[in-house]
Amino acid sequence: MQHTTTSPGLSAKKFFYRDDVAGIIFSLPFIIGFFMFIIVPMIMSLGYSLSEYNILSPARFIGLKNYIKIFTDDPLFYKSIAVTFYYALVSVPLRLAFALLVAMMLKQTTKATGLYRAVYYLPSIIGGSVAVSILWKRMFASDGVLNRLLAVIGIQTDFAWLGSTHTAIWVLIILSVWQFGSSMLIFLASLKQIPVTLYEASWVDGAGKWKQFTRITLPLLTPTIFFNLVMQMIHGFLAFTQCYIITQGKPLNSTLFYMVYTYRQSFEYFNAGYAAALAWLMLIIIGLITSLLFLTKRFWVFEGEE
Amino acid sequence: MKKRTLLVCLILVACTALWAGGKAEATAAAGAKANLTVSWWGNQQRNEITQNVIDSFMEANPNVVIDGQFNEWADYWNKLATSAAGNALPDVIQMDYKYINQYETNGLLLDLAPYIKDGTLDLSNIPESVSSVATEGDKVYGMMIATTAPALLYNKNLLDSIGITVKDHMSIDEFITIAREVYKKTGIKTNIDYGDSENYLDYYMRSKGHILYTDGGLGVPSAQEFVPFFRIYEEGIKEGWMVSPSIFVERVLRSVEQDPLVYGSSNDARSWCAFFWANQIPATQKAANAEKFEVGVTNWPSDNHKLSNYLKPSQFMVISSKSKNPREAVQFLNYWLNSETAGSYLLCERGVPVSSKVGEHIAPMLDEINQKVVKYINTVVAPKSSPVNPPSPIAANEASRLLGSLREQVCYGKITAEQAAQQFFTEANKILAK
Repeated sequence: MQHTTTSPGLSAKKFFYRDDVAGIIFSLPFIIGFFMFIIVPMIMSLGYSLSEYNILSPARFIGLKNYIKIFTDDPLFYKSIAVTFYYALVSVPLRLAFALLVAMMLKQTTKATGLYRAVYYLPSIIGGSVAVSILWKRMFASDGVLNRLLAVIGIQTDFAWLGSTHTAIWVLIILSVWQFGSSMLIFLASLKQIPVTLYEASWVDGAGKWKQFTRITLPLLTPTIFFNLVMQMIHGFLAFTQCYIITQGKPLNSTLFYMVYTYRQSFEYFNAGYAAALAWLMLIIIGLITSLLFLTKRFWVFEGEE
Repeated sequence: MKKRTLLVCLILVACTALWAGGKAEATAAAGAKANLTVSWWGNQQRNEITQNVIDSFMEANPNVVIDGQFNEWADYWNKLATSAAGNALPDVIQMDYKYINQYETNGLLLDLAPYIKDGTLDLSNIPESVSSVATEGDKVYGMMIATTAPALLYNKNLLDSIGITVKDHMSIDEFITIAREVYKKTGIKTNIDYGDSENYLDYYMRSKGHILYTDGGLGVPSAQEFVPFFRIYEEGIKEGWMVSPSIFVERVLRSVEQDPLVYGSSNDARSWCAFFWANQIPATQKAANAEKFEVGVTNWPSDNHKLSNYLKPSQFMVISSKSKNPREAVQFLNYWLNSETAGSYLLCERGVPVSSKVGEHIAPMLDEINQKVVKYINTVVAPKSSPVNPPSPIAANEASRLLGSLREQVCYGKITAEQAAQQFFTEANKILAK
């Protein structure tokens, strides 16, 4: 079959056979979807953030008043930022640490390894769902599974894990860490790519397991760690379902995620313009943090071949 | 060979798609059916009852197809607001007094006046004072469908077992005395309308002659007036007879089945009473049957019952102004209000029916529990009550959320009653002034 890329044929048929045109046509579904469901709503949202909009009636332009109000007149904004940062900055490193640990353990293949990998991966697929969140809420209730298990090993308690400001956020963090499976698989793949010759050479030089880990494994894993860190941080800041289903921000707003607060402003108080401003602010914050991470990249991420 | 099988498969898929599409078109042409969506909030019992009403309407009107949608109270309003934003409001909407203003001022509700005039909506058996509640000038933007009243439901068996009789029209001090005694003798605590609702605060303010939420600000003249209210919670927690707020994080608020009156794994997580509405008696008794106790009814405690008590429009039914089948929607509303068949399903689960004809028809059908509802409303509340407050302004939601948050802080011991009162007074006024 001939198709020409150099002469822009005069016939329509020849036009559609061109590589670049064919490429665009095949990507058209995605491009249309991206435009309609991401670009257009983003622009609309930007417009709403500059106006007063209560969903039920048309928006009214008020300039930057929403943004000013966020910083000067909203204590819950600062509280939710603090909670969300705490959640992201604690759960993500913990999750990556677990992922790495378990990946290291599953590196050697035994008969059951396949099963273990599937079992550990499962939570990360179903974990973000509403069903699991409801399950989690019941598990940590004062008469839930956790307290019953503690009773089995002798600790009688009906402590309401979700009722204390100190422990409620940890219930959510643990839910997040439990979903380490997907990161673990990525680490596994990267671990397998490290040439065995490096380990052999270091063993000949007398390096022990720990030195091998810190001098070979970790440095060569840094690109994967970096990638996971950035992606998971972004997800951490945008967390919504778990908080909305399990705690709704209680007790005393100690678990008020930023996106739940935004949702509340928009759909419960009907301040949709203000909520749009909150959302755009989060975009800026995530952008800043991601840029920051990229800036530090050259200090600790191993690039390319030696 | 591979290409041929692929081709055959594609042709089969295409044929099925055409056939299915053709079939759908055929049914659409055959009977021009009107599609209605009806939405309501409620629990399992109410859902079954409502579905029965819908089914019987569809039987009587085969050209109408109704899709019923329901949620629990907490989710209902978010979903409705989102539907409004997406121009996808249900046709017939069960509406509450707290939110009806919001939807009306934004032009989302159909004017029922023309349908009343031409007789589609028959109001002949409904007292004027009821049918005119949701009106603005000549526009009738909703119809009250049932009457209810604030009702303190309590565990009668428990109180009988320790020798306490509850009398109607309790003062707040009498209520607290009972709470203390119940806790001392049985270890069961008390729940005073904990959550994000302003219901009890509103009732309390009525007894002082104030309307809590008015357009532009609080109807209460000073922060000092809120102190005794918050102090009840402060003392309750300090003395130990009030439930700890931590038990509520695990539950769905305002759900009958999860209320501490009927649900809780230890005495600490239980309450001997619940601040409900009279129409919730059947659902509560159903949940209480599992716990094997009888539900008793009396008023919410107040220091001035004539001012506090009121007959509340239990729910309204409104029709979306953008409904594609307004006439059928009004017909459904008419059926709901006036049909004796519908009334025999609904009984008093949503409250006392507004049509006197329906009320008479169902009176002999009422079982003991539904009779309790009617008796309470007609004999205990109606004689000693005053008119209901005007509908809450739009920003009331945010103010109530603030109230819930302050109440939470008082119950966790983070702030004092005075601080809570001051903060609520200043912040709520700011919120309502928007």
